[in-house]
Formats: sequence, C-alpha cells, structure tokens
Amino acid sequence: MSLAAEAFVSQIAAAEPWPESATLYQPLKEDQILLSDSASSLAVQTFLRMCGLPIQVTCRPNAEYMSPSGKVPFIHVGNQVVSELGPIVQFAKAKGNSLSDGLDDVQRAEMKAYMELVNNMLLTAELYIQWCDDSTASEISRPRYSSPYAWPLNHVLSYQKQWEVRKKMNAIGWAGKNLEQVYEDVSQCCQALSQRLGTQPYFFNKQPTELDALVFGHLFTILTTQLASDDLAEKVKAFSNLLSFCHRIEQTYFKEHDRESSGSSRHSKGSLP
Amino acid sequence: MGTVHARSMDPLPMQGPELGVQADDMDLGEPDREEKQEVLENKDVVVQRVHIDGLGRTKEDILTYEIADVFRAKSLIDVMKKSHEARQKLLRMGIFRQVEVVIDTAEGADAVPNGLDVTFEVKEMRRMTGSYNTMVGNNEGSMVLGLKLPNVFGRAEKMTFQFSYGTKETSYGLSFFKPQPGHFERNFSLNLYKVTGQFPWSSVRETDKGISTEISFPIWRTNHTLKWEGVWRELGCLARTASFAVREESGHSLKSSLSHAMVIDTRNSSILPRKGALLKINQELAGYSGGDVTFLKEDFEIQLNKTLFWDSVLSTSLWGGMLLPLGDKPSSIADRFYLGGPTSVRGFSMYSIGPQSEGDYLGGEAYWAGGVHLYTPLPFRPGRGGFGDLFRTHFFLNAGNLCNLNYGEGPRAHLSKLAECIRWSYGAGIVLRLGNIARLELNYCIPMGVQSGDRICDGVQFGAGIRFL
Repeated sequence: MSLAAEAFVSQIAAAEPWPESATLYQPLKEDQILLSDSASSLAVQTFLRMCGLPIQVTCRPNAEYMSPSGKVPFIHVGNQVVSELGPIVQFAKAKGNSLSDGLDDVQRAEMKAYMELVNNMLLTAELYIQWCDDSTASEISRPRYSSPYAWPLNHVLSYQKQWEVRKKMNAIGWAGKNLEQVYEDVSQCCQALSQRLGTQPYFFNKQPTELDALVFGHLFTILTTQLASDDLAEKVKAFSNLLSFCHRIEQTYFKEHDRESSGSSRHSKGSLP
Repeated sequence: MGTVHARSMDPLPMQGPELGVQADDMDLGEPDREEKQEVLENKDVVVQRVHIDGLGRTKEDILTYEIADVFRAKSLIDVMKKSHEARQKLLRMGIFRQVEVVIDTAEGADAVPNGLDVTFEVKEMRRMTGSYNTMVGNNEGSMVLGLKLPNVFGRAEKMTFQFSYGTKETSYGLSFFKPQPGHFERNFSLNLYKVTGQFPWSSVRETDKGISTEISFPIWRTNHTLKWEGVWRELGCLARTASFAVREESGHSLKSSLSHAMVIDTRNSSILPRKGALLKINQELAGYSGGDVTFLKEDFEIQLNKTLFWDSVLSTSLWGGMLLPLGDKPSSIADRFYLGGPTSVRGFSMYSIGPQSEGDYLGGEAYWAGGVHLYTPLPFRPGRGGFGDLFRTHFFLNAGNLCNLNYGEGPRAHLSKLAECIRWSYGAGIVLRLGNIARLELNYCIPMGVQSGDRICDGVQFGAGIRFL
C-alpha cells in the first residue's frame, strides 16, 4: 500500500467506530487455503482478538481476487476494505486500537525488525515449500489452490500461481536453495525469535503486540498443518519456549474467547502437541 | 504474385455448348466480316466458354459454382444479366480487388456463329494486407494493427489477425473463416481472442480469453448461426473505491456455452432504413458443455419501418431479454443485461438504469425496452442528393425497464414487476449515418419515470453506436 493510500485510509477510518459487522475474508478453509495464507489469516485474527475487535470470518473461493492488493486475508469494515496485517494494524490504530502504544521508539523499531524477519524468512519459506518443492506442489498446493475451478481452468490458474511464486523466488535469490537450506533458514529464524522471547510471556514482556500476533499466526499454522513431510514442524518444535508461547496465546485468545462467547467467529483447529 | 495466368475453363458438361448448336449453323464460314455482323439481341445465343483471366492462387473449382449460371443464359440480355450477377458473386467472396466482364463472340475451331465467350478479368487481392489505426475513447488511447490474409488456401478462406495495444489494455483476436464452395452464406468460422474491457458504470474490468466456433447458414429467408464458445473470464475492480457488491464478483470463471441466433432482415439498410422489418432471436445455454457458469439466456429484437408522407419514416422497435440462472449459483455481473444510454433508453446515462450498489450498476436478469421514432429529412433539406442525405432529424419516445426476477413467483408476478417503475423519455435530435455500419446522434432528451439510483442525462446527449433502439 502506498503512503498516500495509507494516509487516506487512516483519515477516513478515524471517523467511525469499529462496527459489529466487520468481516474477514479468506479462501475456503477445508478445501482451498494454503499454509502461507492460513498463517497470514490467523495472524490478522489474532491481532484483532488481542485488540478486542470483533470479526466474523467468511470463506470465499475468490478471496484472493476480491482483495485490493491481491493478497489474503482482507477485512471489510464499514465501507472500507483493507488487506494484509501491516495496513490492518495501521487501520486499527486509526480507529484508536493499538497494541504497540506502550513501546518506546527503540522497542518499536525492534518490533518492526522482527516482523520483517518473520515475513522475510517464515513466510518466504512457507511459499517456497508450497510452490517450489515439487512433491508438496503437486500433492497439496496445486490441487487445493485450484479446487474451486472447472477443468481446464484449474490447471491454468495453479500453474500460473506457481510460476508467479517461482519468479518471485528467483528475484529474491531463493531459487537456488534446496529444501534443506530452507529448513535451516527456518531454524535460524526460530532461533532468533526464541532468543528474543526468552522467558517472557510475550516478545515485549507483559503486553502482546502485533509481533506476537504475527509469530503466533505462522508458528501455530506450521505446527498444526499437515504437509507432505513433518520436517518443517519439527524445526519449530525444537524451541520449547516458542511452543509454550503458541500454547499460551491459543489459550488466552482463542479457547477462552470461544468459551466466553460461544462465538460467531470460531477458529476451529487442531490443538498443540 | 504479379504473374498473370490466363486459364480457360471448360463449360460444365450439363450445359455444354453442343446441346444448343443447331446443325444448319455449322456450315457458315464466309471470311467476309460484313456478313458476320448480326444483331444478337433477340436471338438465341450460346455461351461457349467462360474464361477467368488473372487467377493466381485461387482454385478454379470454387469459381465454377459462382459462374455456372452464365452458361444457362439463352439471349444476349440474359448473358449480360447473368454475367453481372456472377461478377457480384465473385466480388462478394472478398478475394478479388477488381472484376471486369468482357463478352465477345466465340472464336476458335469449334466456335459457332451464335456462340459467345465471356471473360472475367479479375485481379486477386494481395496475399496479405495490413492496416494500422489509432483509436481514442473511454479514457484510453490505443493502436490497432490488423493483418488480413484473404484467400489463404485458394478457396476464399480468410484469416484475420488484430492486435490492439492501448495505454491501459492490450487485446488481440485471430479468426479463420471458410465458406462452403458455391454457398457463400453457409460458412464456418473459428475465433481465438483476448479482449479486455473497462466498464466504468459498474466499476468492473473484464478480461476474456476465449475460443469460439460458429456455423452460419440460411434457411428460407432466415439466417441462423450456431455457436460454441469457451471463455475464461477474469473480473476485477476498476478502482479501490468499487462497491463491495462488485468486489464480491471478482475472480475467475470459465463459461462454455452453446448459442443459437436467428435473424430475419428485410430492411433496405441497417442504419436509417426506409422500409422493412428485423427480427433477431438469440438464445444461449451455458454450463452443459463444461465450465462453472450455468444459465439460460434469451433475448430478442424487433424493428418495423414504414415510409410515410414527405420522405418521413416511422420506426418502432422492441427489445427484451431474460436470464435464468440454472443451478444454485447466482448470475454473474458479466452475464446480466444493462439498459440506458444514448443508444437505448435515451435521456439516461450509459447502462445506468436498475439495480445498483454504491453507484455501481449491477445489471438485471430481465429487461424490455421499446422505442418509436419519426425520422424526417433535415428542415429545408440542405445538401439534398448529397451530403445532406446522411442526416435525418428524429423525434423519439423510448421506454424500458430492467430488474431482477424471483423465478419462484410465476409469470404473472414477473410481468407486473416489469410493468412497474417504467423509465421513459422523449425528445428530438439529429442523426448522422456513418457508412452502413454506425450512426451518430445528437439529441435533446427529457427523461421521465426516473427511479432513485438511476443516473440521468437531462438535456443534450450525444451517442454513437452500431445498435440502436
């Protein structure tokens, strides 16, 4: 999102309170959504729950194309449409809901750096495994991605998507990597996160921030999603403090919430190992 | 190219010259020219040979069908008439730039005194012709390159390729056309295309990539077209501010449809006709041949024209259509009907009638529109017999309605729904005919029956198009 668009969104957003009818759109949960989109969607849902903003989750086969940026998830609030975590955080802030207000400038810069790390490492690794690992691509990603479409459009669209992601991998220099190197990158990323987290409940001690939402979204999805092999989940499981971090956020923001308000917005998922 | 071959064609066996030759004509052989001069006008003549000069890659067999009638001529007048018809037929095939007819007395060893030779001197089209245009419109400029290969395989097949490169969108189309030899109206065509359209009244951008095959054939006075079309459609929002109803329609769909069109056209001209009628019925069934879009669509168009006093023409027309979504999916914004604008219900903005969401018109599943026009020549008839004849003044009354139907309610409820909230308008203006394909209109319109949400164009409205209510 451009700076001008961002400014525009935050100006308009400030005028109205958060409506009850706010909706988050994502691809079909059972048949279509892929690891990376599922992780991003969970991160946004977690962030909104941490802010205490109600959201209904709606699955649409064309969610990706409905999104103004072409990426899922996106939220429809009032007559505003905002996609991806970064702009959604800005949008919520404009409406007076922020998790990072208590941080000083140094901490905020640090948070941004870690968020970039997660996006550059974990998200890219997820995309790499989905589309560049041939067995995962042919057994899971392509069939799931194209499930809403009729023959022969299903093949056209899934190969087009694969080609796009591979082009992106080429551009950022990941095309030459093999699966082992990608797992190694994931491990290093988790190592860094684990060290930063230490024994604190959240990354910046007592208060959750958008970084916590993002890390939880990715790690929890990696841990609970069945892939062609368990190697990726195993890399994360090596870090016990990250595991308990995921467990804690799930307990606090999903299990309890669901118990309190046998909610309209339920995120059903597997539980942690 | 460039070399000109002369080929003689043997007459068809059925109409062989021998059949018409009388025995007593055979022994006329005086060398004196004076005596050979005869008045052939009322006499029986025999067309002995037909030559076609100037053939290069054209195959002879398709031409024999077109010129066969010339051999049936029995008098000189007949020969001239039939030759003229044959010339028209040859030109219609679109493979010759020029066709000239020369009728001469027969020469050669087997010539008979009342025998004639007809020679068609033709000039073939170039193997490939190209065109280059620039277009401006719809907030976009584009450059259109066209390539045409007339007569690719020598039997009037035509291959055309068009490529349009615009400031916003590129489109292309490749088509192959093949007529049945001897029956030019029966033809087959195959098209491959990619078209991108921007529809600001709906805030929609649509990209279609498709393939279609088509067979056209006449039955009695009607023309039929059977078509199969497979098209991959991608819908998107034109702007970030597009309404959510339009955003929900974004994405890919695959339509495979069979359609049938029937046309009866007895008008003397398709733009500004003076007499005759037009009936067009079109039906499309999507989904049963694949794809993920299923619907049945019917629409029709009727136009009647009658010349009244002082060269004025009264023209009435009626359009209507219905879209029935089959299966459980609702209809798509790309398939629904739109109404309004300077070419349909005048006085309203382009396609700005009926269901809408935040100013984006969503179209309707049923519509009708009718119009009555009185066309008269310009007052005081300036430029009569020339430029002035391209213009007409007209007075019009248009009406129409567009809505969505609840198909569970039955026909009575549908009719009452289509009859309530009728939009109508009246006014007058000037019409300019552009060739025989398009027309321009400048009208003063007064819209009536405006419903909330409709966008009107009160006063002067300018329109250009090829299809008019």
